[in-house]
Formats: sequence, structure tokens, C-alpha cells
Amino acid sequence: MNLFEFMNASGGLIWAFLGSAIAVGFAGWGSVIGVGNTGVAAAGVVTEDPGKFGKTLLLQALPGTQGIYGLLIGFLIWQKIGVFGGLVEINLQQGFLLFLASLPIGLVGFVSAIYQGRAAAAGCAIVAKRPEELAKGMVFAAMVETYAVLALLASFLMLNGITL
Amino acid sequence: MAIVKMKKATIIALQSEKEILTKALQEFGGLHMLDIREEVSEHEDIKLSKGDVLQGEDAADEVNRLEARLSQVKYALEFIKRFGTIKKSMFAPKVEVDEDSYIRYLQDEPKINQIVDSCREIDSKFAELKSKETKTQNTISQLLPWKDLDMRLEEIKASRYTIMSIGFVASKYTDDFKAALNSIDEKVYIETISIGRENTYMLIVCHTDIEDNVVQSMKQFGWSKVAFNDITGTPAENIKKLNDELRNIESVRNSLAEKGKELIDNNEYLEIMHDILSIERDKKDVTSNFVKTEKTVLISGWIPEKVTNDLEAAIAKITESYSLEFQEPREDELYPTLLDNPSFAQPVEFITDQYSIPSSKGVDPNIIMAPFFIMFFGLMVSDAVYGILVATISALLLLKIKPQGNFKKLVGLMALGGAATAFWGIMFGGWLGGMIRIPAIMFDPLQEPFAMIGLCVGMGILHLFVGMGLQAYKNIRNGNVLDAVFDQGFWYLLLIGILMLALPATAIIGKYMAITGAAGLVLTQGRTEKNIIKRLLSGVLSLYNITGFLGDALSYLRLFALGLATGVIGQVINSMALMLGGTIIGSIIMVIVLIFGHTFNIGINVLGAYVHSSRLQYVEFFSKFYEGDGIQYNPFRIKTKFIVKK
Repeated sequence: MNLFEFMNASGGLIWAFLGSAIAVGFAGWGSVIGVGNTGVAAAGVVTEDPGKFGKTLLLQALPGTQGIYGLLIGFLIWQKIGVFGGLVEINLQQGFLLFLASLPIGLVGFVSAIYQGRAAAAGCAIVAKRPEELAKGMVFAAMVETYAVLALLASFLMLNGITL
Repeated sequence: MAIVKMKKATIIALQSEKEILTKALQEFGGLHMLDIREEVSEHEDIKLSKGDVLQGEDAADEVNRLEARLSQVKYALEFIKRFGTIKKSMFAPKVEVDEDSYIRYLQDEPKINQIVDSCREIDSKFAELKSKETKTQNTISQLLPWKDLDMRLEEIKASRYTIMSIGFVASKYTDDFKAALNSIDEKVYIETISIGRENTYMLIVCHTDIEDNVVQSMKQFGWSKVAFNDITGTPAENIKKLNDELRNIESVRNSLAEKGKELIDNNEYLEIMHDILSIERDKKDVTSNFVKTEKTVLISGWIPEKVTNDLEAAIAKITESYSLEFQEPREDELYPTLLDNPSFAQPVEFITDQYSIPSSKGVDPNIIMAPFFIMFFGLMVSDAVYGILVATISALLLLKIKPQGNFKKLVGLMALGGAATAFWGIMFGGWLGGMIRIPAIMFDPLQEPFAMIGLCVGMGILHLFVGMGLQAYKNIRNGNVLDAVFDQGFWYLLLIGILMLALPATAIIGKYMAITGAAGLVLTQGRTEKNIIKRLLSGVLSLYNITGFLGDALSYLRLFALGLATGVIGQVINSMALMLGGTIIGSIIMVIVLIFGHTFNIGINVLGAYVHSSRLQYVEFFSKFYEGDGIQYNPFRIKTKFIVKK
């Protein structure tokens, strides 16, 4: 059996699973990098002044949302194909569409979380020198998140348009 | 709007009454002091009597003295805290100090020395104990491997015919090392005392004849010789002795701590002195803004228009010889910003101040921004149960703890945001991530995404229009009515026209409105250019800003996406938890998963809603009209932490 025959034989489910794996996996991967980088910067700030733990923790939470958005799209796909009880048989086209629908959040989530992590890490430097300006650091990070939010919406709308 | 109008007060009074005057001003607590030393030095036309000079007040010495005193008190307060906290109820009223006891406390200042000295004494003894303890512990850990060495340490030395040595080699070389020594002479005495994690500790005795060979083997295998120079007796004895010493240190420390606990009684006195010294320091510090001549002193500051009479009364009460004048701010003059908003809009001031303090030349956006901020916040969380929880907890905090300042504003923001969250949750049928099934009153965004998109963008466009409206208001208020018509009026026409094009019923009117608006913009947007062609060109180019407006409006889609995130993550938590149910243990874990999961979901989404709601204000709304860089109104007043001055 070559790859094409394998794809044909397994129907659309394989694509649906691959899609949800990309949504959850890549967005989560990005968040891991983003949150990790911010954590490194935050720990540096807290070494100097342990009182800034709360503020830096807020910043660290920001790049974590992409992973959640990815999981959200993954979950909606699983709900659609019945992972939680009785898989639905879907054809190749439906499966491929589900795969495509998961790409926006998977890809944009991955990249935006990394860069949001950088912005948030720089925000930790703001907190170090001028803790009263935390909000500005948070907004800089949130500017990056905009595109993850839009990608989430795109994925959701695409998903919403696929009928099984 | 709600920026309080200020007037500039100028006071001239007698040098001799400066002290009581500053005291009265501090108690009055409404004058935002201005440093006029520089300003006055530039005025050469001020006429003074012969020989008199105009100069700045200098109170640095006295301020420094009080600062030093204050830091002593802070040190003592901080130090006493180590010996147990003083049980004080959160709701206990602050200590009241009246004028007489205030003066008494102030005269009693030397008592601070006593307390600080005993704090220092205990502190240094603690440090001494600490270093002694570390030293003892180090010696013990050095001795521990030799615990089983049944020899007095001072006996380990060379004799006439033997050399004797204790030390260690890495355990992996032990066998080779022993073999090497034995190959030199079988009679080399090797005793293994103990085997540590990495090293093996040994006693070696050999004849002086073979010393050179033995030493060479030792070098080869990395033998580390150990010497205890000042210690006599067997290692076991010494360890016991040192452990006794450690216990002794501990008991000395405990008795010191008891002594420290006695100091806790001084806590109230120290707190009172802390505040009294702060008040005195502020009083001295503020004089550095003044200007003086030989007999008089000149004070200047901003004061809210409404309380000018109160200031006059406060000064008149203490002296008759003064001059007080009030001036309107000059047209281009910035004065300190004091906001006066109804209580529902006050929490939002926190958001605005975080961006930049409103300028006295601009408008105070808070009252208009408040409903938008709160509604957006609610939309982004939109779960009735979450909302009720957040609102209830925040309301309880407000009532019970009575927070002050920015924290109060933040908690208030959460209370209002929580209420809006509950409102939208009910509208969209979001109850604990769908666990409680109550149908939506408006619609379910998951089922009807386009209705939701419409709602979000619609609210966004309204928000943007209001922002433009505020700029128009500012233009009109400053007398630039034409600017308001050209820059905002035409945009309104164009944008509303385009929106109306979408509906068949209004399409025709919309078309003409849009064309009029666009034509108006083309004709007026380049009006600063002199060249007619350039003028039209920049007019046409300005139409490009439609894309900016489109981008701004689409940015409000985040309201939908973040609301979606809350709902679906709630669902994920529910279905994860429900999979666990069934058995008793499963049900317990299920409940734990539900509680932790939903708490996490609330946390992350409230944070997200706060940040993104702020962003919509800062980036989309403020960019239309806002003028920041104001000066915070910070009047000279009595600032206390622990006491209430009567």
C-alpha cells in the first residue's frame, strides 16, 4: 500500500486528527517558548526584588493564551468528529477541510506566542525599572496577541462552515 | 468635563509666622505646591528694600536629619516584625493622636534612640551567633568522616621512624592506591576510616625510609591530606562538643528572641513616631519650594477653584498679616489634574492613569469610557457564573477590607466587570461553560457566529464614533468649529454613509452621504498645504484612512474570540471532569478538576479581558482624541500610614 492508497483507505479522519494535532501542538509549542522566555526574564527581575513576583507573573501568563486557543480549536474538531464517543465516518474532503481550518491558529499561534514572549520579556524590564508602568508592558505584549486572536476567529469560522 | 478647574494661589506672609503657616497649609491639605525659586530668580523687576535679597529657602539640613531619624524608625519597625507579628484586626481603627500628645511625642524623640540601640544590639548579636554557627557547622562536617577514627587528633604526626597522615582519595582509585602503596612496602599501614559519597577517608602510616615513594604514590592518585591544627581529642569527642555548642547557640538565640519579643511593645510607639516624623519631614521639605526675603516668605501653588475660600479662611484663622491672591491659569498653562467622576466611573480612572494622566488641556475620558470598558470586559468573559463569582468576591472585598487608592479602583473595576460578565453570560446562555443549561436570551455566539460578529463590530464602531465625537467636542470647545466639521463631520458622513449602503432601505441616502463626505474630505484635508495640487492630493490620500478605520473596527472581533475562548475552555474542563465521574474516588477527582479548572479559566480570562479591554481603549479609542501627559494633583497634606491626626 503506498501513501496515497493509505490516505484513501483511512478516509478523512486521519486528516482531522492531523489538523487538531497541529492546532494544539504548534500553538502550545509556541506558548511554551513564549512563556519560558518570559519566565527567564521574570526570574531575573524577582532576584533583585521578590516583591515584583505578582507583576511579572501577569506578564508571563500573556504568551500562554495561544496554547489555549489551539486546544480550543482542537477540542471543537474532536467534538465534531466524535472523539469523545463514537467516531463519525468522514470523507477525505471533509477531513482535509478540517485540517485546513486548524492551520491559522496552529501557525499564527506558534509564531505569535514566541514573539509575544519576547515583548513580555521586555515588559519585565519595564517592571524592573518602573513597576508603575506595568500596564504599558502588558499592552505591548497584547498588541502581538491580536493576530493570534484573529487566527483563532478564522479557524473557528472555517470550522463552523464545515458540515459533516 | 470632569477635570477640576484650578487657580493659582500666591501667598505672602511673615518669616516669623512661616512655621505656623506651613502647618496650617498642611492641615488644609489642598494646595499643590509649585517650586517658584527659579521663576522668581528670573524676574529682575521685583523691587526690594535696600540690602534685602530674594532667595530660595534652604531646609536641607533639617530634612536630612528627619530622614535619618525616619529610617531609624523604619529599621526598628522592620526588625521588631521578626519576633512575631502584632495581632491587629484588619478592621481596627487607626490610633488617634491629638495636638497635645503630638507635641509630647515629638519632644520624646530621644526615646527612639533607646529602642533603636537595643534593636541594633540584638541584631549584631544575632549576626555574631550566625557566623559562629556557620563556623561550627563547617567544622562538624569536616570532622564527620573521621568519626570512627579512634585516635586523638594531636597524635597524628610524624615520629622519629614513621610518618602518619590522614586524608582522602576518590573512591574509584582506592584499590589501585592501596595496591600501589603495598607494592612499595607491604608493611605500609592503611586503615579505611569511612567511605563517603565520592571519597574514601584513610589513615596511612609508613616508615620514614620509604617516605619519598609513598608521597609520590599519593600525588599520583590525588591524595588530599587533611589536617586539624587547632583541634585536640578524638573526632567523636569533638563532634559531640561542637554539637553541644550548636545547642548552646540555639538556646542563646532563643533567649535573644525573647528579648526581641519584649520590644514588640514598642511597636505602637514606633508606628506613631513614623507618622509624626513623616509629617514633620514633609513640612520641612515643602519649604524648599518657597522664596524668602529677610522678613517675608512667598508661597505659590495650585488649588481647586471650589476651595479657594476655604484656603483664605484657613490662613485667616492663624494670622492677620498676609496677602493672598488667586489667578486664573494662563491659556497655555498646564495645571495639575484632579478628576471628579461619579463613583461608577472612578475605577476606570485607574486604566486611564496607567496610560497617561489626562492633561488639563484635554478632556477627561473616564465617564464616557467606563461603560465601554466594562461592557467589553464582560463580553470577553461572558459567563454568568464566573461573573457572579468575580462580582461577589470583589464586592465583599470592597465592603470588608475597604481598600484605598489604586487597589480600590482595581477591585471596583473587577466588581463592575464581573457584573457585566454576568449580564453577557445571561444574554448568551453561558453558565459555567455550559454545565448549567439555560438557553440564551439574545443568541448563542457558538451557534450564530455572524450575529456575534455584527454585535462586536457594531459596538466597536460606536466606540470609535464616540472617540471621534470627543475630538470634535474638543475642537468646538477650543473655538475651532471648522476643524470639527472638516476633520470629524465629513468622516462621520462618509463612514455612516458607507454603513447605510449595506442596508437596501437606506442605500440611496447612504450613497449620497458617502459621496458628500468623501468630497468634503478631498477638499478640506489638505488645507494646511499652500499649493493647490498638493492640497487636493493630500485630500485624496486622506481617504486612505478608511482602511485604518476598517482595521480599528475589525480589532473589536477580539471581543468575540476571547468570549469564545472562555466558553469553549469551560466546556473542555467540564467534559474532562465528567469523564472521571462514576466511582466515588472518580467523583472526588471530578470535583477537584472542576474547581481547579474553572478557577484557572476565570483567572486567565479575567487577565485577558482586562488587558484587551485596556488595549481597545488605549489603541483604538484614545488615538482618536486623547491628550495625556498631565500632572498628578498631589497636594501638600498630612500623609499617614498608621495614625489619624486629630
